[in-house]
Amino acid sequence: MIEIRNLSIDLGEFSLKNINLTIGDREYFVILGPTGAGKTIIIECIAGLHRIKQGEIWIDGNNATRLAPEERCTGYVPQDYVLFPFLNVADNIAFGLRQAKYPKTQTVEKVKSLSNLMGISHLLNRDTRSLSGGEKQRVALARALALSPKVLLLDEPLSSLDLQTSKYLRMELRRIHKELGVATLHITHNQMEAEEVADRIGILNMGKLEQVGKPDEVFFHPENEIVSDFIGAPNILNCDSCRTIGHGIAEVTCDGMCIILPHDGGRIQKIALFPRDIYISDVQPPGPQVNRFKGTITNIKSSGATARIEVRVSGNTLQTEMPRDIFEDMDLTVGKEAFLILKLRRIRTFEGKNSQ
Amino acid sequence: MSVFQVSKGVRKERVFKMATMSALAFLTLFFITILLAMVAYTDGDTMISTLISEEVLFAIKLSLITATIATIISIVVAIPVAYAISKTEFPGKDIVDTLLDLPIVISPIALGAALLVFFNTPPGRGIENHIMRFVFEVPGIVLAQFTVISALAVRLLKSTFDGIDTRYEQVGRTLGCSKLRVFFRVTLPLARNGVIASCILTWAKAMGEFGATVTLVGATPFKTETLPIAIFLSLATANVEKAVAVIFVLIIIAAVALLAIRRITGRRYPI
Repeated sequence: MIEIRNLSIDLGEFSLKNINLTIGDREYFVILGPTGAGKTIIIECIAGLHRIKQGEIWIDGNNATRLAPEERCTGYVPQDYVLFPFLNVADNIAFGLRQAKYPKTQTVEKVKSLSNLMGISHLLNRDTRSLSGGEKQRVALARALALSPKVLLLDEPLSSLDLQTSKYLRMELRRIHKELGVATLHITHNQMEAEEVADRIGILNMGKLEQVGKPDEVFFHPENEIVSDFIGAPNILNCDSCRTIGHGIAEVTCDGMCIILPHDGGRIQKIALFPRDIYISDVQPPGPQVNRFKGTITNIKSSGATARIEVRVSGNTLQTEMPRDIFEDMDLTVGKEAFLILKLRRIRTFEGKNSQ
Repeated sequence: MSVFQVSKGVRKERVFKMATMSALAFLTLFFITILLAMVAYTDGDTMISTLISEEVLFAIKLSLITATIATIISIVVAIPVAYAISKTEFPGKDIVDTLLDLPIVISPIALGAALLVFFNTPPGRGIENHIMRFVFEVPGIVLAQFTVISALAVRLLKSTFDGIDTRYEQVGRTLGCSKLRVFFRVTLPLARNGVIASCILTWAKAMGEFGATVTLVGATPFKTETLPIAIFLSLATANVEKAVAVIFVLIIIAAVALLAIRRITGRRYPI
């Protein structure tokens, strides 16, 4: 368990202001915030890389505020992984074990079991400089986990990966976390990444923790304007009815709009969808008409590289968003009819108190 | 525009390339001419007989021994000094940094004279009388070489440490290493190529050191006669053949050192 009490630190360019946070024993906690919010400093403070003058950090019930990094039992995976280039993959993973003077046979076994867990057992003799981004991430993770840390600290672990690898590794991170059950603090600026992996999310802005909660709570009930602005003001629709129409599929009605979505839980009270996840067209798209709606454009705001279009559909007003250059090529004006397609996989659901 | 005509931009590009290549050719030819002049001044038999003469062999041996000792001492001292300047913030760092650069820009003769003056002060005389004699003695050669090359070693090693991302050390610490251990297990392995290159360069510089050495220990044949002093003594006695032979020894040593550095720095880690 990690407990941060009244932590404040000023490093000039970045700072933290009175951070209070508790992360549970088997919890996967994500700190989400824009670049420059101070996310990395939190992780570095927990790892012991900054001298703390105000506040305390407790790890596993012990006050770690004044402990050196090597005395804290944390597993740290920095951004870009920072693998030792003078060691091969196996030696990178074994590095901590050798410093702790583990017996050779135990070291070999631990390296083997961790490389199996990470799916990198075929890479053990490879030079780390020849690895792909995804492989480096797994090696860095195995190295951090070798000493069975009480806390795993992941600093933007997926930011330097391509989209496909990043998506796959999000699932892998969850799987590894589930298998090992180590308290994990993961920081990112990517909202989708945060929602996919987190048990709870903390929104950090300008060094201040603005809101902490389950992804759904933060998403559907932003506590202030900063959080609301950061998560991007989604379209939130209240559901009048909800029924299961097949295995893992539900149909909800929101003020005259009948929407089909993947869902396994209880009654859906609200659904939400970001403006960027609603396609808009000036002509009726071909194909089945599931989650496709005709409406009337009520407002258009065009600023910078983005155009925001409000469309009235039944009793709802939906905001859509598209690149400005594409918008200018389309025949979309206020008062005209437009066709909307909702991205099925991007629809988020909220079940009230029993939300998942 | 016909196929044989070229645009103004292409013409300017050619003029620029010609100008830089001409400068390169001039400088290369300048050094080749000097080398050829020395080759023309001597013949193979004279060269070999000079090289195996007792005096030249003594100079080679003395230079190898003193330069190696001075290099070892300067690298051992320069590693922590360079690390401290590179990675630690402290008040007056700029002043200390500038002070450590002074021996690079000050004339070696001035450095040798400063050492000579120091050994004429009470603390200097105390060292001479009770610890070790340096003035006009072989340890003085090592001291003079150390004074000249240590600043160079610090500068070279500092740039190596500057190039090492601090996060490697931070990761090492979270993996159980103390600050000292992380220095030996992470920082030094990362700096290995830089350290080797610094050793070679400072050693080559020590081999060629003359100004500080001759001022502190004089030029006594078969006593303080290093290779550069051997050249000086040969020219002083108008024995140009001997001077040329010793110059060739120094050129070969420098060429081998530079080649080795090129090989080593070509295999640097991407840090």
